[in-house]
Amino acid sequence: MSWLLTILVFLPTVGALAVMAAPRGLSRWLSAVFTGVVFLLSTWLYIGPMLSSGGNAAVFGNVSHPYWVDQAPWINVTIGSLQLKIDYHLGADGLSIFMLVLNALLTFLAVLGSWNIAKRQREYMALLLLLETGVMGVFCAFDLYLFWLFWEIELIPMFLLIAVWGGQRREYAAWKFVIYTVLGSAIMLAGILLLYFNLGSQTGQYNASFGWLATHHVSGNLTILGLTVSSQLIIFLLIYVAFAIKLPMFPFHTWLPDAHTEAPTAVSVLLAGILLKMGAYGLIRICVDFMPSGAHQFAWPLAVLGVINMVYGGLCSLVQSDMKKMIAYSSVSHMGYVILGVAAAVGPGATNPAFKEAALTGAALQMFTHGTITAMLFFSVGVLYDRAHLRDINAFGGLQAKMPRLTWIYSFAVLASLGLPGLSGFVAEYLVYTGSFSTFPILVAVSAFTVIITAGYLLWMLKRSFFGPLNPKWSGITDASILEMTPLITLAVLVLFVGVFPQFLINLLHPSLSNIIQTISGAVTASGR
Amino acid sequence: MSPTLIPLSSNDMWILSPEIAMTALALLVLALDFLVKRREIIAFVSVFGLVVPAGLLAWIVSTPNHPVYGFYGMYTIDNYAIFFDFLFLLIGAGVVLASYDFVQRYMRSSGEFYALLLFSLLGAMLMASSRELITIYIALELTSFPLYVMAGMLRKDIPNDAASSVRSTEASLKYVLLGAMSSAVLLYGMALLYGITGSTDLSEIAVALQHGFSGGPNSMVLLVADTFIFAGFGFKISAVPFHMWAPDIYQGAPTPGTLFFSVASKAAGFAALIRVFADGGLLNTGSFYLWGFIAIAAVATMTLGNIVAIAQSDIKRMMAYSSIAQAGYILVGFTAVAYQPSNQTGISGMLVFLAVYVITNIGAFAGIIAFANATGSEQLRDFDGLFRRSPTLAFGMILCLMSLAGIPPLAGALSKIYIFVTAWQEGGLLPWIVIIALINSVISIAYYIGVAYRIFVKNPLREDRLRVSAAISVALAVSVVGIIAATIFFQPLLNFGVSGAQALLK
Repeated sequence: MSWLLTILVFLPTVGALAVMAAPRGLSRWLSAVFTGVVFLLSTWLYIGPMLSSGGNAAVFGNVSHPYWVDQAPWINVTIGSLQLKIDYHLGADGLSIFMLVLNALLTFLAVLGSWNIAKRQREYMALLLLLETGVMGVFCAFDLYLFWLFWEIELIPMFLLIAVWGGQRREYAAWKFVIYTVLGSAIMLAGILLLYFNLGSQTGQYNASFGWLATHHVSGNLTILGLTVSSQLIIFLLIYVAFAIKLPMFPFHTWLPDAHTEAPTAVSVLLAGILLKMGAYGLIRICVDFMPSGAHQFAWPLAVLGVINMVYGGLCSLVQSDMKKMIAYSSVSHMGYVILGVAAAVGPGATNPAFKEAALTGAALQMFTHGTITAMLFFSVGVLYDRAHLRDINAFGGLQAKMPRLTWIYSFAVLASLGLPGLSGFVAEYLVYTGSFSTFPILVAVSAFTVIITAGYLLWMLKRSFFGPLNPKWSGITDASILEMTPLITLAVLVLFVGVFPQFLINLLHPSLSNIIQTISGAVTASGR
Repeated sequence: MSPTLIPLSSNDMWILSPEIAMTALALLVLALDFLVKRREIIAFVSVFGLVVPAGLLAWIVSTPNHPVYGFYGMYTIDNYAIFFDFLFLLIGAGVVLASYDFVQRYMRSSGEFYALLLFSLLGAMLMASSRELITIYIALELTSFPLYVMAGMLRKDIPNDAASSVRSTEASLKYVLLGAMSSAVLLYGMALLYGITGSTDLSEIAVALQHGFSGGPNSMVLLVADTFIFAGFGFKISAVPFHMWAPDIYQGAPTPGTLFFSVASKAAGFAALIRVFADGGLLNTGSFYLWGFIAIAAVATMTLGNIVAIAQSDIKRMMAYSSIAQAGYILVGFTAVAYQPSNQTGISGMLVFLAVYVITNIGAFAGIIAFANATGSEQLRDFDGLFRRSPTLAFGMILCLMSLAGIPPLAGALSKIYIFVTAWQEGGLLPWIVIIALINSVISIAYYIGVAYRIFVKNPLREDRLRVSAAISVALAVSVVGIIAATIFFQPLLNFGVSGAQALLK
């Protein structure tokens, strides 16, 4: 055991308790220290193996042999024909590491971005830290039951953060969030049980560790209500519902605009930057890797839904007048790329596996890209909202005269979001399009319009609120402060760096993703489709 | 034939020693109430006196000839009984601590309450150990009668509720009447079973049902006996459709009494239910009708409990429906046992779930009692903004409610997963019942999180800080620590439950 993952998961909990115990004045300092330390430790996940291997990214391993492992027996019962084994099994390969680091970074920035929260600051900070624990756990759980346990931890902190610190309709948004999430995770648990017992009876070994599940796939058919379906497909669908809600995938996306719009700035940042990625991560790590032929059978619907996400989300953004709502729908649109990329990776046609991996890499990079860029957008809107208490795009105008710094950074984020070459958004979108074209040519052709729509709504929004003649109502508005600029600049540097030099992330992801691609092609060849 | 006196051995007395110690303790508390009239001393003796039966139990367990049988096999201390005995002792300590101030303030009688509580626990311990119908019945009555009295012990109105002492008396009367009826039904079922098998000893009944009974598993008389016995215990565990009493009596009774009903009565009911059905071989007849009846009861219990709980405005009524719903989850495990009686997994799931439920419910009710002591209210709306009036109390309550709701990673979630897993793996129709249970878990979120929502999100009606007395703080803290410990050290609890289950169905 290296303990590093355990520390990363539970240090924020310790931080939350410390914040609650300490005097009120210390809470933001304490949480900044805790999240900062967690972030610094999390970078060791990447630096450590790189140093020890002399820069060979293959060292990160894959789902069967991750570089980082923390494992201890937790629950193990054998009685009669029942075997239930839940290990405290944390692991991190490339795919996990980059989400863990992103989570640590964004939570740290979210604390900085909430520096001036006046209302019940102590509880707010404690909940942010608890949220970090839950999300960290999701990204490094390597036991399916443990994954499910961590999956739900995030629920309560998020619910309270929206319900207490949210906007006008916060109660409605918070409850909607809870109902969707809980429903999804209950269905996921049913899927997990189905997988566990079917696989257990087929292989004779009951095991829910990721390494086992990725190498042993359930086979055969299940008859449910007189309908015979392949086991993999039904399990895939049951588990995927929870991820589809989180992603969010059309038609399960309606909680997102409400939650995003009502949540306070930093919470929106975490919601878009990290929580949506839990769905994408689950889709790649669990649904695709453990039920490859189920995913394969569902590839077409998945691709179509992904394209609907992209186009429909974009069109919805176009008509929003609320800035946050617009960004929320743009998230729906951007997460469509992830779905399309995954669908292409598992999709039909004996195309070159390199294309499939490109599509999957694009999907994974899109997780990172969207996390950082949308975080920037939300931070920027937060700066504006703190001053104007308005998010109506048309209520502003010509702000660049008064807020040059914010205009500069906001334009940067907008350009990154619409996929300007040289910034990270472009890399992800390009890889998804290139990788999926040979599999779904017509769908990709249709979805390419998203690029135009995205440019349309983002630039139009920028023009209406920041450029043109200054609306005299805002002549007294002040520019973003240094504190407010800190998270924005940090993220901008990252977006630029990944845009210019995406290779280091691709290298980090390659061992995990190529392993998944192998699993898929193995399963598809075996099923003869 | 003239009755012969059966000689008792010293071994029998040794086996009975925990119960004898319990009786002595209850009598001592009663006597102390006359003599010293000091609440601190009485409560202290009640809690720490429990160490004696606990020590005797531990001694019996540690001897090599465990499990021990006495009174010609009618009475046993096996792992199953041990599991429940320790649970009952825990309940005793928890309830005494949680009720410490409330008893003084609203009941004006500490000694009686504690003595009744101990007598009731004595009955519960006997219920878990008896392997003979008459003994079980008498133990059941010994458990129940103190409860009837406790329900009516509220002598002084809760400040915000002018009719509360009247309602307490009403609750007591209702409880007696309904309890008497349920006993009658139970006795009828036992009489029928005796008629079929010619014995009241559970192992002899099991043998008779397997070899000597010609009616077959679906004979009407056996099914009626099964149903009546289930109904009689169903009243204790508040399973639908025998749950009607619970909301009124939970609401009317003094809150420490309610706490005691929700854990002790339920645990004792399950202890005897499982013992009779498993050791008595009723499940082994393989009747599909019996299984169907239990399955329907399980589904109806959790669904009704969860849906009606949402609409409650009084927290005790809400907790009543919550406890009905929790009984429904436990019955899901029982459905699995009835489906595949040779398998002990379902029983181990029930035991573990019950233990976690008991620990959690003590904490939740300790929070409610503390709140009632400080504010004089038990209305849900008064919980608004509790977090700002007393963060620690609010934190403890939220944690307990989250565990009851089965929010991971708390022990409540683990025990729920475990009981669902035990049911799911039986196959057949069981996965569908588990899916219904999962949907129910989603519904239950509405009211559990609803309370957490009031506590944390809403603005308080008054900005004062609430004072929580030491005794209740201890009860709440023990419960919170218990939940966290049961989460981290779930495996030992599981082993304990499994060993308890394995003692049955041999």
